[in-house]
Amino acid sequence: MSFFAPATPSTAPEPSPARDSLRRLSGLVRANARLVVRNRLTLSYAVVLPVLPLLLVLAGERGEVGPGAAAVITVVMLALLFPVFYNTLSMIVTRRDELVLKRMRTGEVRDAELLVSLAAPGAIIAMLIAVVTVPAAMALGVPAPRAPVLFLLTVLLASVTLATLAFWTAAWTRNAEAAQLTSMPVMGLLVLGQLAVGFPDEVKRWIAFTPGGAVTDLVRGSWFGLGPDDDVPTMGGLDAWAGAAVPLLVLLAWTVLGGWLAARSMRWEPRS
Amino acid sequence: MTTTSRTTDDSPAVRLRGLRRTYGTGESAFEAVRGVDLDVARGSVVALLGTNGAGKTSLLEVVEGLAPASAGSVEVLGLDPVADRAKVRRRTGVLLQRSGFAADLTVRETLELWAATLSNPRPVSDGLAMLDLAGRADTRVGALSGGEQRRLDLSCTLLGDPELVLLDEPSTGLDPESRQRLWDLVRELRDAGRTVVLCTHHLEEAEALADRIAIMHGGRIVRDGTAAQITAERPSRVQFATPVSAEPLPAPEALGARHVHAEHGTTTVETDDLQVTLGALLGWATRHGVRLERLDARTASLESVFLDIARHPADDDPRTGPRPGDRALEGTAR
Repeated sequence: MSFFAPATPSTAPEPSPARDSLRRLSGLVRANARLVVRNRLTLSYAVVLPVLPLLLVLAGERGEVGPGAAAVITVVMLALLFPVFYNTLSMIVTRRDELVLKRMRTGEVRDAELLVSLAAPGAIIAMLIAVVTVPAAMALGVPAPRAPVLFLLTVLLASVTLATLAFWTAAWTRNAEAAQLTSMPVMGLLVLGQLAVGFPDEVKRWIAFTPGGAVTDLVRGSWFGLGPDDDVPTMGGLDAWAGAAVPLLVLLAWTVLGGWLAARSMRWEPRS
Repeated sequence: MTTTSRTTDDSPAVRLRGLRRTYGTGESAFEAVRGVDLDVARGSVVALLGTNGAGKTSLLEVVEGLAPASAGSVEVLGLDPVADRAKVRRRTGVLLQRSGFAADLTVRETLELWAATLSNPRPVSDGLAMLDLAGRADTRVGALSGGEQRRLDLSCTLLGDPELVLLDEPSTGLDPESRQRLWDLVRELRDAGRTVVLCTHHLEEAEALADRIAIMHGGRIVRDGTAAQITAERPSRVQFATPVSAEPLPAPEALGARHVHAEHGTTTVETDDLQVTLGALLGWATRHGVRLERLDARTASLESVFLDIARHPADDDPRTGPRPGDRALEGTAR
């Protein structure tokens, strides 16, 4: 039996770039999501670890804002760190080593589609964690978020930021083991934001411009109505949106920077 | 519009002019492809033959659009593989020398993923049947043998129904049965008017499949033609143990040979007309009662041509002398 008939390129459907891109992307995301689910270790890091800090809430008085804010911020940080940042970084580096990326790049898939599809499962997990955190935290006595949409938007935008930083980190990470070290700078930028509470004001002002600082400010404002220097809630939902402009721009700026650096330095094949 | 479609349809499937590819810069720079001109006609099978390190893969990667040329020009189906990437990729199928697939997806899932990336995918069931993978459809890629992974790789290459297929060492890791299947597929492709460019170092594969063979050595194409044309330039060869008798061997002219030489107890006669030479030689032996031990006569084979080329260092190969159109040979000899 013969599989090939003479080529008839004229009968091929008229290509539509946007629809074609979406079709490729959904195929890639589906496959990558399958792979994340099949890797139990990655999955437990990605899903279980980030929600554990919710138990911190139990350490304080029921309804107390301080421990509640600390717990929710930690959940968001870990959701950004493990499923989004570290998972994306290690997937790119591992697939590059296995020549999977090189193989994919011989086909019709575009580089950006390849990268987005690698980050998508982690970003989806982070969003799910954020959504589930709302009822879970409330059940533990944390007050309801004042601007829930802003809270979810924060996690979404920060996921994009962290994904582009993962692309950039992957560009100069030699292999999967090296990722344990090369992930440090971005992890630092994230964790710093949450540690800022203990630092002098001079330092704090600068930390607000890190991705972690921006995420911390956004979560405190959107959920708890806490301004950057507040110990007690001062903002309603609308105030939270108004105060969000600067930290949202900070995240956007890091995203642009990460994307630009990644585009300049991405490597698709293992170093020989 | 008419201009575009005309150039697209009449142009060779692959057209290379003065193609060069350099790795690195400065002192450590290495030029893997050193000025290649090549036209691959549509509907033909062309084999790029060469020793390891001859520059075959480096050349193919430029055609595939994975790497830019350092100099010269590349046209694939009349288009630029980098600038017109989307248009070219829709119509080409590529098999890399080495590549990988995610180990935790099954064979079927991998083909489904690949099909989702294609503009014009065949059914996944075709992909499974083409290389006899149906029985392994639900096996994870990580559990496949090397040969089975190679078949999956090939199946992806052909899943988009490509007009031009670029295969880099396709039979690596395949058992004889699978290799035969691959050869059959390449022939089917050609019968359907598709174009195949095949990099290989298996002479047998090139001889069995290719309409035309280009032999690469040291980053250049040093021979180009059908197997018959390539071997025609080369003399046939008669060898025998140098007789101990006092009777001197006849002169080359008397044998119709190019030359005769004896070393290490073996005499070698090179000739353009094996029948004439062999007849003269045997006549001489019979007349003088000389027995030719270990007598061996053979026409030039692709293998002898290839080994001859491979034996010589690339840069001072005496037989590569400048040929028309081979720009690489002018001015770059060290």
